[in-house]
Amino acid sequence: MSKMKIVGNRVLRTDAYDKVTGGKSYTVNLRLPGMLHAKLLRSPYPHARVLRVDTSRAEKLAGVKAILTAADVPQIKYHPVYFAPSTAASMVRDMLILTSTVRFAGEPVAAVAATRTEIAEEALELIHVEYEALPAVFEAAEAMKPGAPQLYEHAPNNVVMNPSFSFGDAQKGFDEADYVFENTYRTQRVHTCYMEPRVCVVDSDTSGNLTIWSSTQHIFGLREKLAFALGIPVSKVRAVKPTYIGGGFGGKLDMGFLEPVAALLSLKTGRPVRLEHTRYEDFITTARNPFEVQLKTGVKKDGTFTARWAKSILDTGAHATHGAVVLMVHGFFGFLLPYRCANQKWEGMTVYTNNIIGGGFRGYGAPQAAFAVESQIDEICDKLKLDPIEFRLKNAHSEGEQHPFDPNFTLSTYRLAECLKKGAEQIGWSKRLPAGAGNGTKKRGIGFACQPLWVSGCVGFPDIYEHSGAILKLNVDGTVNLSIATVDMGCGQNTVLSQIAAEELGVAVKDIRVTYADTDTVPFDAPSHASRVTYSAGNAVKAAAASAKRRVFQVASGLLNSSAENLEIVDGRVQVKGAPANGMPLADVVKRAESPCVNMVPDGMQRTPLEEKGTIMGSACLAPASNPSPAAVEFVEVEVDTETGEVKVLRVAYAHDIGKVINPPGAEGQVEGGLQQGMGYALMENLVFDPSSGACLAADFLNYKMPTALEMPAEITCQWVESNEPTGPFGAKSLAEACAIVPAPAIANAIYNAVGVRVRDLPITPEKILAALGKLDPA
Amino acid sequence: MKQVIALEVNGERHEIAVQPSATLLQVLREELDLLGTKQACDAGGCGCCTVLLDGRAVYSCMVFAMSAQDKKITTIEGLPKDGKLDPLQEAFIQAGAVQCGYCTSGMIMAAKEFLTSARAPSDPEIRQAISGNLCRCTGYHKTVDAIRMAASGR
Amino acid sequence: MGISGVREFCRPQSARDVVDLLAKHGDRAVLLAGGTFLHGLFARGLGSGVEVLVDLQKAGLSYVKAANGGLALGAMTTFRELAESEAVQKTAEFAAIRDALQYPPAQIRNQATVGGCVASASSLFDLPVALLALDGSVKSLGPRGPRETTLAKFFVDYFEHSLEKGEFLTEVLLPKLPPRSASAFLKLETNSNDLALVNVAVRITLDQAGLCRDARVVIGGGVGKAPVRAVSCEAVLKGQRPSRTLFESAAQEVSSDIQPVSDHRASGQYRRAVAKVYLRRALLRAAERLGVEIA
Ligand SMILES: Cc1cc2nc3c(=O)[nH]c(=O)nc-3n(C[C@H](O)[C@H](O)[C@H](O)COP(=O)(O)OP(=O)(O)OC[C@H]3O[C@@H](n4cnc5c(N)ncnc54)[C@H](O)[C@@H]3O)c2cc1C
Ligand code: FES
Ligand code: FES
Repeated sequence: MSKMKIVGNRVLRTDAYDKVTGGKSYTVNLRLPGMLHAKLLRSPYPHARVLRVDTSRAEKLAGVKAILTAADVPQIKYHPVYFAPSTAASMVRDMLILTSTVRFAGEPVAAVAATRTEIAEEALELIHVEYEALPAVFEAAEAMKPGAPQLYEHAPNNVVMNPSFSFGDAQKGFDEADYVFENTYRTQRVHTCYMEPRVCVVDSDTSGNLTIWSSTQHIFGLREKLAFALGIPVSKVRAVKPTYIGGGFGGKLDMGFLEPVAALLSLKTGRPVRLEHTRYEDFITTARNPFEVQLKTGVKKDGTFTARWAKSILDTGAHATHGAVVLMVHGFFGFLLPYRCANQKWEGMTVYTNNIIGGGFRGYGAPQAAFAVESQIDEICDKLKLDPIEFRLKNAHSEGEQHPFDPNFTLSTYRLAECLKKGAEQIGWSKRLPAGAGNGTKKRGIGFACQPLWVSGCVGFPDIYEHSGAILKLNVDGTVNLSIATVDMGCGQNTVLSQIAAEELGVAVKDIRVTYADTDTVPFDAPSHASRVTYSAGNAVKAAAASAKRRVFQVASGLLNSSAENLEIVDGRVQVKGAPANGMPLADVVKRAESPCVNMVPDGMQRTPLEEKGTIMGSACLAPASNPSPAAVEFVEVEVDTETGEVKVLRVAYAHDIGKVINPPGAEGQVEGGLQQGMGYALMENLVFDPSSGACLAADFLNYKMPTALEMPAEITCQWVESNEPTGPFGAKSLAEACAIVPAPAIANAIYNAVGVRVRDLPITPEKILAALGKLDPA
Repeated sequence: MKQVIALEVNGERHEIAVQPSATLLQVLREELDLLGTKQACDAGGCGCCTVLLDGRAVYSCMVFAMSAQDKKITTIEGLPKDGKLDPLQEAFIQAGAVQCGYCTSGMIMAAKEFLTSARAPSDPEIRQAISGNLCRCTGYHKTVDAIRMAASGR
Repeated sequence: MGISGVREFCRPQSARDVVDLLAKHGDRAVLLAGGTFLHGLFARGLGSGVEVLVDLQKAGLSYVKAANGGLALGAMTTFRELAESEAVQKTAEFAAIRDALQYPPAQIRNQATVGGCVASASSLFDLPVALLALDGSVKSLGPRGPRETTLAKFFVDYFEHSLEKGEFLTEVLLPKLPPRSASAFLKLETNSNDLALVNVAVRITLDQAGLCRDARVVIGGGVGKAPVRAVSCEAVLKGQRPSRTLFESAAQEVSSDIQPVSDHRASGQYRRAVAKVYLRRALLRAAERLGVEIA
């Protein structure tokens, strides 16, 4: 590969100027003439039948324009998850737009559109709903017991799915083990806490065509889900890409109740309808699923795995939503695949309860698994006096091996060992003391965790889309419009994709503008989710740029009297390789292609060849060639107050085999933000509900605790291992999720190292630490 | 029920009719179309709605518009001077402190007040100054860098 | 929902006018100070009966001044103004206030007021705990004129204070403390944007001989309906020479003074355990402020 001019440089974000001056282009800011405001009426009961809904008083309120109840919505059961087709066999379709059987506290039963939000709110109070309360169940273990309240006929004992996979012979493996370890780990329900609320505006025309703007991670998924739930063809829905969304993290990876409701209200009134969640509504309509993970692991004295067994129970809440896929990702990428072991067995269960529904959240099942797996490895090493780094390396995959997930691929680039080495050096691993060895009330400890195997996109996953498309269009001033369905959630996708286009095309980043896109005008792209955009969409953008470049060379070859193969673009100039003086600005080539066929010049008419004519553009629609694995390692140092159990994270050293860093500050930002989320998961975040009523007790930021700037460590270092993945755009693989998965187990392991106690359920609150230290009087 | 009041926002006087229950945030966004100020919780604590009231950072979702009548209000739109960005805005760009950008207006306004009195602030002081502003994307690391950069005039 | 019933917004120009407005509107009126507690209530749908908001901003109650050798804090003084006042910044006796005001975020410090914080009668706020340890009292004004109530009597129950209908809080008074007095405050919180899981304020006064002549110990944050004065701890301290052992035994005594609650944020046992630790640490901090060598 020739030396790169743009990829790998510290590039300033293309949208930063706009955002520091107030950032107008969020969906939350969209206003249309004649727009109505909608609100959802939500059930206070966690499980109930709706017997009667009386809307007569609300209808009479001045300003109310339309009301919907379950009787007014199509009775089409759908699943809301964007990345899988509506008809996918592996997905469970158990939702209705408005329901007459409520299964969680907060499930909508009616909706109002009015001229003002306050009027819509007032109207909600005038709607009278008669409920018949049904018994509810809030614990997965309880829900599976005979006699527990049943949520659906299709799920006996409330078990949605119960997959089981086995490799080799686990029993034989345990028989061969020198030691067997058994532990149970639990993780809590947490919220993505994107800052921009979920919000949408839907407009309709007289032919029933819908246009929807939504703060979403996927416009094509939204189009397809909305059309499916409404029972209309996809071509009747145009989903417009939000220029910005105020974060997503997986929390906007499915259709909410708001979009179909707003659509129906718009169809009913013929006016644009806006629906915005309150923070409370955001808190009660998506979450990372809680898990219970039972692990049994057999090892030889030297630390080689002989057998691994796990059972994972996922509480999916009132609807299956993501629960089926989260479970599988958890089982495969969280448990079965990260380490080598000949004898493995895993069983998973997705269980309905009357809790709120789950959603996507960065890591998608893996954070829960990594907490269990990486904690237990540390426990094993501690017991057997083995070095945790050596232990992992002994059991890890290595470069060049067949990919454990998909035999069609190899781990062509895979540098876990190098990540471990770099991280260990940075944190000062060699100076680590034995667990609990420090003196004083405040003790320090070092720990780490890996996500040894992860994805770059979703190639190989059943029922999950993984293709991208991009269109590049060159302008006569030498600039380029990049049209792509990819939503930049804030992670800097637009900047990275612009860099890739600029590098390929030989122009500056500032000359690329990521432009308007909607589902009518741009090719399909899978969602901004998983860890896929740089790798997958990046490959499509690179291919589109290459195709535009080929056209540039065709046009320029006549102008420069050179064969197209012999041309290159450098710094916005098209020139003959080896003879840079023989060249011209790219803009002139585009002008030539866009010029009239015949031009009047002072001495007469000038004809240009017809085959040069036409806008220069390039497009590509493709699925990436592979699914290369990154590798991630995070070392942390903590300080634990042994009298109160308070934990301070002092230093973090992260290392990641990323293939190639496209934009270093953007990549660092992912790690720093991933740490905030992972640290919150480890230490404080907990979306708690009243165990009797199912009401949310943490539906605001006073009660839902996440790290502020004061809790975050002052020192975070990122080290990149550049393994140059041959199938990646300019060598790149993925980053986004791994760095949010590793913090929790790393912190748990560091706490153990500091004070010698192990907490196996998240969040590791000061109270749990104090209890584990035996310093809490029994109740 | 609406009452007509005068508000001075970013040096400009506006006469507007407001509900007595309207918050300053609602008036800025819905009446004055100053959409740079964001709402993310409407109950204090996220900081996205931070504006300056007589130079002091406040949560505009917790201030009644009626109470803001004879005060000078500054929003993110009021920071650039003569077409030039405020040094803080510039620093946020340079430091890479912006991701989704939804917290950014509030973050900059909180930092703005802080830097009017803090000369060479320490990192813990900077962190304290933005502890009323949540960010879910950045981990605050580059935000602290940006404020430090702006403070030292680099 | 919220406060859509509000139809009037008043901005009285004096304390007297406030009393008149309260007399006129009765239960339909709500006093507005910084609004940081009120907006939280309204956002949670707890404002349906409110028709009139009485904004105290213009009533002339923003000041920190010397009074009878102690301090008078106007009800509308913001946390920030209080924190920047000389007495709070410089002295050891009022240092508990300095400590307490460091916790809330800048936006709250700029907006929340002494009066609003005290009148919220929340068992979880910080400043009231510090003020209690300084023997603060509340001055109020009502139809029958002004009166003074000790803070200890002011807090009655969860979100309930002892003011009568038509009365409102105008000032918090802090008495002059004897020489060799110092105070300190500490809070356990989950993140820096949190209400206390436990908070403690202590004040000690030493005599010429360096013995503890007087002590106040107050615990808040979910240990009772209102912040609790830990008299048993105080009894242990009185007449003794400050030492680690003394502070430790005083801290152990706190158990008999408090009945911590268990909720989704922490259990009662945990609150109890931390109260002891924080108490000892606060005592050490106060002693340090007196320049006492602690054995
Ligand atoms: C994000 C956030 C963080 C916070 N962090 C902390 C913290 O770290 N520590 C802490 O202690 N607190 C904290 N708080 C709470 C804060 O201290 C209170 O909200 C504040 O003290 C209330 O004061 P105010 O002036 O805003 O009162 P308001 O909200 O205006 O009023 C409070 C109550 O008192 C009544 N009232 C007001 N003035 C008077 C008067 N003069 N006479 C009689 N009644 C009156 C009002 O009617 C109302 O019922 C936090 C709050 C938020 C939103
Ligand atoms: S919107 Fe005001 S603090 Fe969150
Ligand atoms: S940049 Fe997204 S919340 Fe801060």
